[in-house]
Amino acid sequence: MTMRKIVKKGQFNFAWLFAILAGAAILFLAIFGAMKTGDTARFQTDTQVAKQISILTDPLQAGFSEGSFGSISFKKETRVNNICFSDEFGKNDISVSTKSEVGEEWNLPGATISIHNKYIFSKERSSGLDYYVLSKPFNLPYKVADLIFMISENYCFTGAPEEIETEILGLGIPNIEINNCTVSDSIKVCFSSTSNCDIVVSGSCYTNCDSLYDKGTVIKKDSNEDVNFVGNLMYAAIFSDKRNYDCNVKRLLYRTKKIARELSEKTAIMSTRGCTSSLNSDLVIWESMLNSTTPDTIDNLLGDLEELENKNYREQCNLW
Amino acid sequence: MVKKAQMQIQQMSFMLIAVFIFFALVGMFFLRVQVGGIKGSAAQLQKEQAISSLQVIADMPELNFDCKESMTLDKDKLLIMSGDFGQDYDLFWPVASVEVFKAYPAFDSQIECPAPNCNYYNVYNNSQLNSKKFATFVSICSKERESGSVYTRCNIGKLVVGIINNE
Repeated sequence: MTMRKIVKKGQFNFAWLFAILAGAAILFLAIFGAMKTGDTARFQTDTQVAKQISILTDPLQAGFSEGSFGSISFKKETRVNNICFSDEFGKNDISVSTKSEVGEEWNLPGATISIHNKYIFSKERSSGLDYYVLSKPFNLPYKVADLIFMISENYCFTGAPEEIETEILGLGIPNIEINNCTVSDSIKVCFSSTSNCDIVVSGSCYTNCDSLYDKGTVIKKDSNEDVNFVGNLMYAAIFSDKRNYDCNVKRLLYRTKKIARELSEKTAIMSTRGCTSSLNSDLVIWESMLNSTTPDTIDNLLGDLEELENKNYREQCNLW
Repeated sequence: MVKKAQMQIQQMSFMLIAVFIFFALVGMFFLRVQVGGIKGSAAQLQKEQAISSLQVIADMPELNFDCKESMTLDKDKLLIMSGDFGQDYDLFWPVASVEVFKAYPAFDSQIECPAPNCNYYNVYNNSQLNSKKFATFVSICSKERESGSVYTRCNIGKLVVGIINNE
């Protein structure tokens, strides 16, 4: 073999070099495209799930019942982000992300779905395979909205009063146990004792109440936060974090004011048909009281709201 | 020899351009199918939202009669909500439009309330064109006083909501 032939064999053919470079570029583009397509498909699915949460919670709302319950199950562990905004009617921005098999623990969330007409109480970020949706009406004293509680953790209620116990057992919520709890990692909610509890519910309604827990305070030991509640907001205080609770309560107070104004206008229309109501001035006062109420002082409304409720009950043409 | 190599390079580049165009076309076709799927599922979700919203809207305390019975609207509240008061609720609705018609007695022309013998309440409209609509029958009730006694008077009505069009 001559020296010239060895050099020629050792030289890299241009056609080969060109084909390798072009092949690598095409392969890279194909892999990049497949990954992008996968990401887009996941983004689409996560966005769809967020929208479906908004739709699925429609029939789960309490409506005119004392409460309702349902569950949403996912095939894969899913994180639901619930960011609340409290300007005027406000909104709950819901986004969903799924657990990732590579790299970061969670994929980037899908598009945010804004829900303006619902009050979803949950942790700002919760994850799980099964989400339980519990709904209770919110009356102040007239019906304002249905509260929706979305929970994925297990809870253990100890020392709960009979009415709460009956209610929870009646709805058959699988992730809330009463007294003899079997799930080891459940969040312990205590009503009478304060030791070995994650959350303590302290009732403070002593006169003219159906229950001691018509108003009170929920104390969360991990975050050292106190949340005041009235009526069914007790469940909201237990199942959500303070930021989400305060924001949704502000939204509820705004809507309560709007309904007070509407009812006040309704008295004027009714009086043209001879159906007079003396509640107009009370509603104006109630509206101004709501103006100065914050989530921290909402429990102070209980006395006045019962008075308003009784006045409406006594009217021949009652407003609600 | 040089000419043959040049020819080969030309063949190769033409082939590469052809392969590239082919993949680009396949990609565009795939994207088109995918975008069509997204639009389809978005429209389907909005439709589901509108249908499930029918009861939610009828049971809203701002429209419901006495806040006690499902699918029963308050005539007085409808009048208030279809006026200036309802404008504050613009962002609140999960649908494109909320309209209520009196279904009985049947009417030939639509007369918007408030007006004598009116039969139509325009509670909300986001001015969207070509909205697909869904409807359900409801009761439209009001409290009346006659000869000193108070009673509830109800008529048959129709609640119509329009789907939000994403396009």
